[in-house]
Amino acid sequence: MAQADIQLQIPSAAFYIEPVRVFVGNLAQSLGFSRKRVSDIQLVLDEICSNAVHHGSADEKVGVKLCISIDTHALEILVRDTGRRYTGEKNWLTHERLSEIEMNRSPNNERGHGIFIAKSLADMHEMQPNAAGGTDVRVTFRLPKPRDIEI
Amino acid sequence: MDSTKLMKLREESGIKVIEIQTDLSSYAASDLRKVLEGLLAEKVEKVVVNLSQVSHINSTAVGALVGVAKRLRQSGGDLKICSLADNLTRTFNLIGASSVVEIYESENSALAAF
Ligand SMILES: Nc1ncnc2c1ncn2[C@@H]1O[C@H](COP(=O)(O)OP(=O)(O)OP(=O)(O)O)[C@@H](O)[C@H]1O
Ligand SMILES: [Mg+2]
Repeated sequence: MAQADIQLQIPSAAFYIEPVRVFVGNLAQSLGFSRKRVSDIQLVLDEICSNAVHHGSADEKVGVKLCISIDTHALEILVRDTGRRYTGEKNWLTHERLSEIEMNRSPNNERGHGIFIAKSLADMHEMQPNAAGGTDVRVTFRLPKPRDIEI
Repeated sequence: MDSTKLMKLREESGIKVIEIQTDLSSYAASDLRKVLEGLLAEKVEKVVVNLSQVSHINSTAVGALVGVAKRLRQSGGDLKICSLADNLTRTFNLIGASSVVEIYESENSALAAF
């Protein structure tokens, strides 16, 4: 299959994450990902969209952009938010903040598992500040080799 | 839209059972938290969450279950969960929540564990 790009924009509200999760699950399934991998992809998508909505959006209207790319090797998902825009807030993506998040993670905590899940399950996970003042999160899942396909 | 309607409450020999009839991504996860907080407010002590009809759960929903289980234990109660699909078990294991919340294969075994 040649390179294909799918672009979506949803309001920054949790309500719209579920239908996108279902859509991406169907897409991954059509691409031949195993059932296990489809649910990994759906979980990672849910986590990064939830973060974009809950931590990376000033209000519901600003929206979250998704760009889904498929090439011969991989399914890549980019989730782009525009940031909270707290007055005077520095970019949150500092080395200190990220290692603090990582160090504080505990199974006993109610929160703070989303980034860990995305990092653990995606073949590649990358977070970068973007020009809009928000965050770009890019995750990649290698397409299954023919022998990995579940029938 | 209100997904709390898809979280059915009933009582089995003094234990509250919540049967979740929706997948638990972000939106439904905050409704789950509301339902659980409602039970805490009513001073319910023993809760079983039946996840047999759930095919997806995210970290926020797992976090809500962990948080409420810990609070119930402080007052001598508990929250136990049951009937997880394989991918849900994997998510609980990945987060480490399987060592914090008791997980049972069936509703009956969860009820019997109280
Ligand atoms: N897109 C984002 N924009 C701004 N801050 C973010 C973004 N994503 C994550 N963060 C920051 O990183 C922290 C950790 O995110 P993570 O998803 O691991 O946990 P959480 O969202 O707090 O809880 P949960 O376990 O429910 O996902 C967040 O609390 C937030 O401060
Ligand atoms: Mg999160």
